[in-house]
Amino acid sequence: MDLPCGTRNFDYARDMAVLRTKTHWALFLVFLLVLFTMPLYLSKYWLGVSNFIGISIIAALGLNLLVGYCGQLSVGHAGFIAVGAYTTAVLTGNLGVPFLLALLCSGIIAGLVGLIFGLPSVRVKGFYLAITTIAAQFIIIWIINHWSSVTGGFVGISVPLASIGPLEFRSEGSQFYLIMGLTALCILFSKNLARGRVGRAFVAVRDNDLAAEVMGINLLYYKLLAFFIGCFLAGISGSLLATWVGYMNAENFTLADSILYIGIIIIGGLGTTLGPILGVLVIRLLQQAIMYLSPLIESGFPVLPAGFTTGIGPMVFGLVIILFLVLEPRGVAHRWTLFKAAYRLWPFSY
Amino acid sequence: MAEFLQYVITGLAVGMVYALIALGFALIWKSSSVANLALGQLVLISSWFTYGMLVQAGLPYWIGFPLTIVFALFLGWVIERLTLRPLIAQPILSLITVTLGIGYFLEGLVTFIWPMSVAALPRMFPTEPFQIGPAVVSQEYAWAAAISLILFGLLSLFFRYHKMGIAMRATADDQLAVQACAIPVTRVFSTSWMFACVVAAVGGVLVSLIGGITFGLVETGLKSFSVVILGGLDSFIGCMVAGPIIGLAENLGGGYLTPLIGSGIKDIIPFIIIIIVMVIKPHGLFGEERIERI
Repeated sequence: MDLPCGTRNFDYARDMAVLRTKTHWALFLVFLLVLFTMPLYLSKYWLGVSNFIGISIIAALGLNLLVGYCGQLSVGHAGFIAVGAYTTAVLTGNLGVPFLLALLCSGIIAGLVGLIFGLPSVRVKGFYLAITTIAAQFIIIWIINHWSSVTGGFVGISVPLASIGPLEFRSEGSQFYLIMGLTALCILFSKNLARGRVGRAFVAVRDNDLAAEVMGINLLYYKLLAFFIGCFLAGISGSLLATWVGYMNAENFTLADSILYIGIIIIGGLGTTLGPILGVLVIRLLQQAIMYLSPLIESGFPVLPAGFTTGIGPMVFGLVIILFLVLEPRGVAHRWTLFKAAYRLWPFSY
Repeated sequence: MAEFLQYVITGLAVGMVYALIALGFALIWKSSSVANLALGQLVLISSWFTYGMLVQAGLPYWIGFPLTIVFALFLGWVIERLTLRPLIAQPILSLITVTLGIGYFLEGLVTFIWPMSVAALPRMFPTEPFQIGPAVVSQEYAWAAAISLILFGLLSLFFRYHKMGIAMRATADDQLAVQACAIPVTRVFSTSWMFACVVAAVGGVLVSLIGGITFGLVETGLKSFSVVILGGLDSFIGCMVAGPIIGLAENLGGGYLTPLIGSGIKDIIPFIIIIIVMVIKPHGLFGEERIERI
């Protein structure tokens, strides 16, 4: 039921197309129009929120390729984002490398670091891998904090604005175009990777890696490829984060963030390209809602304990992750397909 | 020499507490093969609960500690009943991430109720340090090691002779056969969670008597993962052997490497050990190597 009635496949190319019908195209164009005119009518604050959403989507797409498609659980994603962010900071700030080159380098270096910590995945999986990546998170952050001649240590490091040639992304609006453009590219890349040869191999590895190996899938290659691509996207996201924030230290990349990214792809729906996007929207907008509402609630109910504003966020996110796992393990993306099927059949029930 | 002995003794004592916390992990893993990544947060919340009982409510020890144990039992039961029971037979990914979610929730709960983020438990053991050879060791370390050992002994006796202990070992061995023998598997699961929470609580109180209650306790819980990894996931003996090894490595390494590499090396030694074990011998020292079949 993922297509409207009467849509037929006359050739392979049309069968594989992402946008199938004229309505799809119309809706897509309207969406693009709305998205790219956003800087005209959104306030600076909300533009900032959308920029952060775009950056998070890139990271979540990477994690989704690694966890959702290839089934290799990584609880150190924030660490890999940190690698990308610091690479950009050092390259553009200290060495004066142009931004686009630094962006690419960030992705590649984060990917290579991911390869190192992904190496055990060839022999172990599940919990062992989760622990290895947690260890990766702590080791990366420790190195960042203590290699202060390069990274600035606990004090942090400032990052120059992104610029391509003479074009400098100074305002929130111009950064919006940079970030959204790259996000769109990454979504396209991830979608196409997932439905191609590599993506099918990932799914086979996820479902049963022994069986996949027997079928002739090179486990070492594909598992490490998943780690490389997942961490590459994390690096790109970190690079954008660094230039967008402008000043950062290792406090921005905690284990809690890594867990939140896992939460994001679970809430969105593992193993779909739509999932990470929806998950990021849900979590980041929920964060905004909590930030807006919790002081109001606290002033309204003086009986609440003093830690209400700081504690409520993690509590809500933890609860949301648990509830989704128990009640809707396939995430918002699954609800969306159900909804689409339902409205196409309306007013009939099947 | 005195320095060396000092590091060895504190390392052994702290390692015993790590081993105790790791035991809580191995318990759950053995009976239900759920990897409990919320261990650190369980340690954290039970330490804060003890603080709440002893300092904020002003209760004496002999009421405060039993209350903490009861709280831990209750916490374990609630967690198992509400989050893990509905996920029985789900893929391992969900089982791991749900404990991550629990950890996240508990951490929020702690900042919610106790926003001060640092506190100290009242002193429980006599304060004057004693001497072993040239080394001076504070009594808390000795007590912590002794209590961990006693608890470990009690637990091994429980697993050896008590009916529930035998049922838990049997469940670890073969769930289907156990169900056929009319042993309630779900009750075994919740018992293992309750026990795990109790050991985490005792370990947490021992650690926070030494170092105070901070968010570092979460990291203590994470460090005890290196104990389970090194010892082998499903082995109690492995925990007891690997715990002191990790403690020694951490304290000796911290003591002698800090001037060379820089401060804070102590805190990541367990994580480096994890990576090394993972690459060389992923099933640990005593762990059972499972052969996979399609």
